[in-house]
Amino acid sequence: MNGRLVQRTFVYTALSITAFVSVFPFIWLMVGATNTSADIIRGKTGLGTALITNYIHLTQQVDLPTLFWNSSKIAIIATALTLVVASLSGYAFEVFRSRLSDRLFGALLAMLSIPFAAIMIPLFITMAQLHLINTHTAVIIPTIASIFIIFYFRQATKSFPAELRDAARVDGLKEWQIFWYIYVPVMRSTYAAATIIIFMANWNAYLWPLIVLQTNEMKTLTLAVASLLTAYTPDFGVVMVATTLATLPTLFIFVTLQKQFVQGLLGSVK
Amino acid sequence: MSGLKLRDVRKSFGAFEVIKGVNLDIEPREFVVFVGPSGCGKSTLLRMIAGLEDISAGEISIGGKRVNETDPSKRGIAMVFQSYALYPHLTVRDNMGFALRFAGVAKEAVISQVDGVAKTLGLGELMHRFPKELSGGQRQRVAIGRAIVRKPEVFLFDEPLSNLDAELRVHMRIELARLHKSLATTVIYVTHDQVEAMTLADKIVVLREGVVAQVGSPLDVYDNPDNMFVAGFIGSPKINFIKAKVSSIAKSKIKVMLPNYGDAVIEFSASHSELKIGDGVVVGLRPQHFGTSGPLKFNLNVELVEHLGGESFVYASNGSGELLTIATQTGRNIKSGQKFAAQFDSPKALLFTEAGLRVR
Repeated sequence: MNGRLVQRTFVYTALSITAFVSVFPFIWLMVGATNTSADIIRGKTGLGTALITNYIHLTQQVDLPTLFWNSSKIAIIATALTLVVASLSGYAFEVFRSRLSDRLFGALLAMLSIPFAAIMIPLFITMAQLHLINTHTAVIIPTIASIFIIFYFRQATKSFPAELRDAARVDGLKEWQIFWYIYVPVMRSTYAAATIIIFMANWNAYLWPLIVLQTNEMKTLTLAVASLLTAYTPDFGVVMVATTLATLPTLFIFVTLQKQFVQGLLGSVK
Repeated sequence: MSGLKLRDVRKSFGAFEVIKGVNLDIEPREFVVFVGPSGCGKSTLLRMIAGLEDISAGEISIGGKRVNETDPSKRGIAMVFQSYALYPHLTVRDNMGFALRFAGVAKEAVISQVDGVAKTLGLGELMHRFPKELSGGQRQRVAIGRAIVRKPEVFLFDEPLSNLDAELRVHMRIELARLHKSLATTVIYVTHDQVEAMTLADKIVVLREGVVAQVGSPLDVYDNPDNMFVAGFIGSPKINFIKAKVSSIAKSKIKVMLPNYGDAVIEFSASHSELKIGDGVVVGLRPQHFGTSGPLKFNLNVELVEHLGGESFVYASNGSGELLTIATQTGRNIKSGQKFAAQFDSPKALLFTEAGLRVR
């Protein structure tokens, strides 16, 4: 009994610390957005009254609607295209397994170990030769064939019952129809989880957009938030407001797809 | 309604041959059961008939038409799967009407056809539910309904009852038999459960390692098996095999001696040109063949008794190492450790060569 109490105390303490570490930055971010830069530096922890002022200063420094539009456009198009490519590839790699496809998949997985820094320059040269520098296309294209998401879909496809495919074939569906009418709706929680992962990765992308996007009117919200910090005397209140605004879309998508996200990660087909 | 013909049908996965030349004629409206142990190729053969597996060699024809290259949906078949394979994102109604809607049948016609079948199967209440909201038995009925709606020439069932509990399995078995009578269609049914095979089939096809071991009516296969494999597979509890030796051969009479049972002699009305006096043979005696009367008698020690209420299964031996199973309806008072006299009539016994072939 005593041992159990100690164990419980330990578990709850550990969980409380983890929860605090996870949630504290968000609370600090939102509290900070209402305070002036000076208050933030001084370490003020209470709510302030500078939210509107910070927001006005932010809109004076950056073109907020354009940044939102650029970020949304890139994240939505990249997410949609990645879902299409990765789910088709994952389905094909699992359903039409052969020795050749398994080897090809192994080679793809091995590519996961290549760091982005190693392909950054060749990728930039390729984009330059395609005359795509400073376009959103250049930001989107390299993200579409995400090996990790293909792997995720391939693993999830293992839980897609083979008999459903057989039943659909007996019902007269062609392969693409099985994919579209059966696989996609049955695997919707996998799609939801993948949507969140891909959208977040694209919305928060920093390094590659920083390299290929060169003019202010093409830049994304993440780049703009980062650039606010590079000023000679950064206004932390403004940075906090900008960061809060930048987290809203991912937060919205997560809340909307939360149930499917959890199911998708558990890999359940019901 | 269509019959089927299979001519030297073969299937290989790489160098491994799974189906090794199956020839079979299935008459229209016949209920045919493919039965055999796991890995004998029965499900593969069914999938080949359905068009879900390619045929490596040979020919399958349905209703007189070769269907080797025909798409599954155009073969005039409907299939019920072991796991039911209902589309989880569609309601019962949509599941049942899916194939028709896909084939371009008008919405009103789909509704009336689906409703008609649902009424027959008592699914009326469940039409708006999703598969995950149904019990195993209900799912199975929906799967059968989905197959019926397509009005197929041939129904294919792949171990449809194996996911159900024992009670429901018996209930569904009766429903399937009734359904077959009322629909009067050809049915091919795969199972590893020989009770299902015996109770449902007009014709049983016993498969072993990709070849047909025997084809016949259930009672014919039970009473008159072609080989030891069929004799051992059909019948519950399993048939007893007793080692024996040929003691005399006369014109159409073979006498065998059972060395483990005091040299008891059994006479068979059979002729087998290759058997010689002294050759080893195997005598098959079904547990139900034993009784309390008969000219032959084994004195045994009871090792274990299973009382099922109506009948009892006695497992007994005479110390020779062969454990015999005896089914008796008068064995309520038998206890393990007791002496037991098992008697039988020799005409009921079956004779096999050592290689396992029937001697007739």
